[in-house]
Amino acid sequence: MKETKEFNNILDECLERLLARGESIEQCLVSYPEQADELGPLLRTALEAKEALAIQPRPEFRARARYHFGSVLREVKPKRRFFSLGWQPRWAMAVSVVLIMLLAGGGTVAAAGGSMPDSPLYPVKLATEQVWLTLTPSNMGRVELHAKLVERRVVEIIYMADKGDVQQVEVIAQRLDNHLVMVASLALAERGEERAMFAPAAEETGEDVYNRRNNRARLRLILESHAANQQDKLQDVLETAPESVKPALRRAIAVSGTGYERALEALD
Amino acid sequence: MQEEESLVRRAQQRDEEAFTQLYEAYFDKIYRYVALKIGNKTEAEDMTQQVFSNALQSISSFKWRGISFSAWLFRIAHNQVVDYLRKKSKQATALLDESLVSSDSNPQLVAEHRLDIEQLVLATKQLTETQREVVSLRFAGELPIAQVAKVMGKSQGAVKALQHSAIVALRKSLLLAEDNERD
Repeated sequence: MKETKEFNNILDECLERLLARGESIEQCLVSYPEQADELGPLLRTALEAKEALAIQPRPEFRARARYHFGSVLREVKPKRRFFSLGWQPRWAMAVSVVLIMLLAGGGTVAAAGGSMPDSPLYPVKLATEQVWLTLTPSNMGRVELHAKLVERRVVEIIYMADKGDVQQVEVIAQRLDNHLVMVASLALAERGEERAMFAPAAEETGEDVYNRRNNRARLRLILESHAANQQDKLQDVLETAPESVKPALRRAIAVSGTGYERALEALD
Repeated sequence: MQEEESLVRRAQQRDEEAFTQLYEAYFDKIYRYVALKIGNKTEAEDMTQQVFSNALQSISSFKWRGISFSAWLFRIAHNQVVDYLRKKSKQATALLDESLVSSDSNPQLVAEHRLDIEQLVLATKQLTETQREVVSLRFAGELPIAQVAKVMGKSQGAVKALQHSAIVALRKSLLLAEDNERD
């Protein structure tokens, strides 16, 4: 009984190493040579199951579901109460940061703009970005802003990779992905609104429609150029970065590539 | 984890960006979990969408008391799968249709991959309901054992034992299928 319990723990530990940390079956077996005969076949079956399950939702379903989700998200937003900020932490934060700016002076915020994740001013930089996003009213304006913030994240990844900080590279890559997800979501939401406007076309002139599409096309071009430049920059760093950072850097490159693909698809 | 906690708290305040991030983080996992459990592409897509709509409607009631956000979300998915299966009153898994396979352009690779998924779905049919749940949560949902235990309302020790027996049964079933193919 005790031995079975022990084996269950070993199996689970190895599965965790295999599935979550990307270690090989051999690495696990080396740690438990006495259980290797029983453990090996089970780990191979688990790995096969995991690989067989690497199915992806169809891209058209993904896009449709994301749009539907965006619509539901907007529907369930509570009505705003005039004198209360409690319902909207983003606005509360915006006001707080503006107050900090007034108290600390513009110099702090300006200095924070160029700060890196290892700087004490970095949280001010992130908070300021949130304020920009909150204060940007249009979807396409926010798309453009998120695209600019992606550029900042790439610079930060390169800086932290040079310093050999794996954890920060991963955290910033996640932030970068979040910006690209928002680009795709906002672009899809905008496209949905655009379609909805075609029905009562009386109020929207041909020029409005032209400008809207022109704006999308312009953003698409910007994004395409960013995607190519940033991938090149990250690939360059990959060659010179410390070995320990390279796996995280590769993941960041993959995240950026997939994120840009989705974003460009949404801007089509 | 702390970042997820902060995202959930923001999502509870109806922060659109925070909820979108949670949605992106779990969308594929929930889809795979549902697809493996019900084996039907169209239904899996609809159900995945429904899971997130339900989560959005009820996130304000979610509390960080002994249960993580992922466990909570998978519980919603689990309940929907159970409802669906009860309504359909048929076996939990049917053969996966072709479009569930990844959109690989190489037909040979697609065929090989499809075979794997079909074998897996058939093999999971030989498992008990609880073993199948552990496999779905662990390999499709990519949840660690502690979270699987929370979703299933069992101890970690019990889930580890189920995981062991499920993999053994899965292996036997796959080997048997391979032998049958050779004959």
